[in-house]
Parts: sequence; structure tokens; C-alpha cells
Amino acid sequence: MTTPVPAISIKGLTKDFAITLRGVKLRAVDDLTLTVEQGQVYGLLGPNGSGKSTTIKVILGLLEATAGEVRVFGVPSHRVESRRNVGYLPEAPYFYRYLSGFELVRFYARVCGVPRAHLEARVKEVVDWVGLSKAADRRVGTYSKGMLQRIGLAQALVHDPKLIILDEPTAGVDPVGSAEMCELILKLKHQGKTVLITSHLLAQIEDVCDQVAILDHGKLIVNGGLLELVGQRDRQALIVDPLSAEDIEALKGWLSTRGHALNAIEQPRSRLDQLFLSKISRPGQNGSQGGVGSNVVPEATPATKTPFNQA
Amino acid sequence: MTADSVPFSFSRLSLIASNTFLEAVRQKLFNFLLLLAIGLVASAQFFREFNFGSSELKFIADFGFGALVFFGSALTITTTAQLFFSEIENRTALTLLAKPIWRSEFVFGKFLGVFAVIGVFCALTIGLMMALLWHREGQLMQINPESFEAGRILQYGDLFMVGVLQWLKFGVLSAIVLLIASFSNTNLYTVVTGFFALVICHLQYLARDSWGNVDSIILRTLVRGLGYIFPNFQLFNLGDEIGVGAGIDPAVFGRITLYAVIYIFVFGGLAVYSFRKREI
Repeated sequence: MTTPVPAISIKGLTKDFAITLRGVKLRAVDDLTLTVEQGQVYGLLGPNGSGKSTTIKVILGLLEATAGEVRVFGVPSHRVESRRNVGYLPEAPYFYRYLSGFELVRFYARVCGVPRAHLEARVKEVVDWVGLSKAADRRVGTYSKGMLQRIGLAQALVHDPKLIILDEPTAGVDPVGSAEMCELILKLKHQGKTVLITSHLLAQIEDVCDQVAILDHGKLIVNGGLLELVGQRDRQALIVDPLSAEDIEALKGWLSTRGHALNAIEQPRSRLDQLFLSKISRPGQNGSQGGVGSNVVPEATPATKTPFNQA
Repeated sequence: MTADSVPFSFSRLSLIASNTFLEAVRQKLFNFLLLLAIGLVASAQFFREFNFGSSELKFIADFGFGALVFFGSALTITTTAQLFFSEIENRTALTLLAKPIWRSEFVFGKFLGVFAVIGVFCALTIGLMMALLWHREGQLMQINPESFEAGRILQYGDLFMVGVLQWLKFGVLSAIVLLIASFSNTNLYTVVTGFFALVICHLQYLARDSWGNVDSIILRTLVRGLGYIFPNFQLFNLGDEIGVGAGIDPAVFGRITLYAVIYIFVFGGLAVYSFRKREI
């Protein structure tokens, strides 16, 4: 059985930017090597200026590598062919404000070569899926940030790509919009898509990612599976009903006879974002506009599942 | 070409062009300049010389072409620069160029979109001018029939050809501005340099005329080179031929058209080459 080609393969990537006419250069990415396997949700983390967006731009062929090699499904990233199976949602996306949501997604679908016979059905499918069907006739210039992110995701998915790159997809979006974006990413994961995501909101990354890499000053400092990196394999937590002081003492004694120690007693807490989301009315829950569509899959349906990206 | 390669697509090219056209016509600048030009052309009949002769018609035509050249040049430079930099500054180019498209499709799509906008501008301005001339000539034929014994004086086909040549000239200018925009960092720099290029191209014939009089071989070669690099926009000004002698020679029209097309492809090709490596 042959091993599937990695979705993204980066070897020794270095990217310098000239910052003065005398040739002084800023190294944005320094000898980066990492691999994103197909089907993974991969989080690329790091502070501002760590090289995340630069790396993504090199993957998309928008920037040229100073040194090293980047391949997307085995194709060098500077070639146009490498972008055939890629959907991209830029950070804080701006789209043509004079187009409606439908017109915008239709435009990108045609750019990506979605056949005319399936065009309308496919556009409607992804617009429904991101929960914007009721606002899709409005001009994009009237959209909120959360809606812009969702229409951005729709244009990224319209040609049914195998790899989706999301650059700070929840930047500037309220907790509801962020939660919905996470739901969409998890749905993509369940459909076997590969997702590369950058975010400053580490809790969200933790919820959706299988693998993470942390960049600092352009260098890779951490890379691995999420459980390996943040899980404490030598410890366990038991969550029980409230215990009295005597019961706790008895439990400590029982553990000690078996060679274990009770290291901490804490009051479990739910996360603040979970509390927030449970208390406010979310779009879609009361039949109003919005909310991520849950009944329609973004993957091309049998009717529209033609090889757009092999056309 | 491998089975997986992405060929150059005229469909994508026309998509980008039509989107550029749509963006341009929804801009206030286009509507403003169009209204100004149409207003100026229409006002020509109020500033005419009242001698009821052919010179009045010539005056209206000259006034109309003047408005076309002035506002058309301004529209070409500003629209080309604006439509290019709006993609860069609004970061819509990021999303678009992250799709499987060639940068040459992007650059020539932008060019064709702007060229179509200028085409609409020229068609409306020339159309109005021709309608005014036709109307006024009809009035003059009734007032002063002895001056029009041989029928209408103006060759409207010639007027149309001059309009087409102006459109082609604006196409060359747009390609020059795209080349500047392909390496420039700001809209303002592109617009200012575009206006300089316009002036140079209008005065280019002076360089051509003078290279024979320059003694220094180096200077003569330099002047001659500049004469070839910058197109001669005076060639497109055939307005004086209208209503004179046999009018505009179709062979001359064909040669100037070819001249414009060659310059459009050369400057457009250079813009693609420059933009190919541009970091978005």
C-alpha cells in the first residue's frame, strides 16, 4: 500500500524580505520544516510576526521562497497547478463590496472552473452550508465581520478543495461567530478534509486541531500531536460529586495504601465562552438568519460532484 | 503540458475583465468624468462661431475631440491605477491569486476591463458628438443650402475612425500605466508617473525629429531609443483630416491600429513579467 502524498510538505523554508535599499533583510521564516498529512486539522501558532502568514503565502504561491521547498499534494507551490485543490480564507477578508454574496461565490466558483451545469447548485449548497442563504442577495459591503468570514469560507469551499487554509478565521469575530467557525472546521474534519489553521485564540485551536506547530521569530519551536504536547500522561483527573472532609481523608488513605497520592482538589469550572454561548440566543436557534447550516454538506453532492479541481 | 497543468484560460480572463468593468462603472469617478465630457461636448453648440458655415461644424468636432482626449486621458490613468491598486490595497488580490489562475490572466483581465470602460466612454462621447454634428449640419443645410450643394460635408465614418484611434491610444496609455503599477507601491506614484508618460508620449515626436540634429553618437542613440520606447501619440490625432480632401486613408488607419496593438502587447507583456514576481 502506498503512503498518501502529504497535503503540505515544507522542507528548509527560509523567507527573507529586503527592508532597505542597501540590502538589509528581515528573515520572516527561518529553515522551517514540517509536514501536514492528508485529513489532519493542523494548527500553526505563534505570536504576531512569527512567520505564520508568510508561510501560508509561500504555500499559496503568493510569495517566493528565498530557500527551501514547499509542495502542496506533491506539486511545488510556485506552480499554478498546486492551487487547484486548495481553498483559502485570508485574515480579515475583504471582498468585492459591490457584489452580492451569491455573485461573489459564483465569481470564485467560475474562476476555479466549476462547470456551468453545476454552478448554481454548488453555489447555493456552500452558501447554505455556511448559514448565509438569507443574506446572500445582499451586497457584501453590508456584511458584518462574522458574515464576511462565512462568505469567505464559502468561496474557499466552492470548488470542493481537499486542503483548506484558514488564516486567523476568528480574528475580530464575536464568540458566537467564532464558535460557529469552529463547528464548520470540525465538520470539514469529519469529511476528511485537510485544514491548516492559524489563530491567536489557543482555546479554539485546542478544540479543533490534531496537530500543532508553534513558530517564534520564524523558527519552528514546537511541533507534534495535540495530546502528546498538552496531555499529562502520568496523571489522571476524577470528577466526582462533592465529598466531605472525612471522605477526602479516607480517599487519601485508600490511595496511599495503593502507592498513589492525591495531588490536588479543585472545583471544576466550565469555560467562559461555553457560559457565554449557553446564555445568549444564537442566530439560527430561533429560526432567524444565520447559524451554520447543518443539513447540507460542503462536499460536492453526487449531482455536483464532478472533478472541478481536476477539470 | 502535463494532464494536471492549468492552461491559460480566456474564460478566466474575461471573468476578471468583466468584474473590473463592473467595479469601474460603479465608481463615482467614471460617472463624474463621463458626465463632464458629455456636458462639455453638448455645450460646444453654445460656444460655436456663428458664421453658419463648415468652420462651425469643425469647431464642434474639435471641441468634442478635445473633451474626449482630456477626460479620456484622465479617466484612463486614474481608472487603471485605481482598479489595480484597489485589488492590492483591499487584499482582494490575495484571495484571487490564491486560486488556480495565472498572473498574466490577472494583468490582461485588468487591462481588458479598463479598455472596455474607456470604450464605453469613447462610444458615448463620440456618439453624442456625432449626433450633435448631424443635427447641426442638417439645420445649416436648410439655412444655408448653397454651402451644401454637394450634400453633407462631414464624413461621419472618419469621425468614427478618429474615435476608434483615440480609444486605441487610451489602450496604449492604459498598458503603460499597468506596467508602472506592476512595480509601483502606491496609487499616487502610478498616477503621477502615468501623467508624465502621457506628456512624454505626446512630445515624443520632438525627440524623433531631433535625433538627426544631435552630434553626439551616444546622445543620438539615447534619443533614438527613447523615441522607440515611448509610442508617438501624435500619430493618433487625425482629427485635422476630417472634412479635408479625401479624408482619412483606411491604410493609415490600419497601420496606426497595428502600431497601437503592438505597443499594447509589448507594455502588457512587460507588466506581466514585472508582476509575475511581485510579492502580494
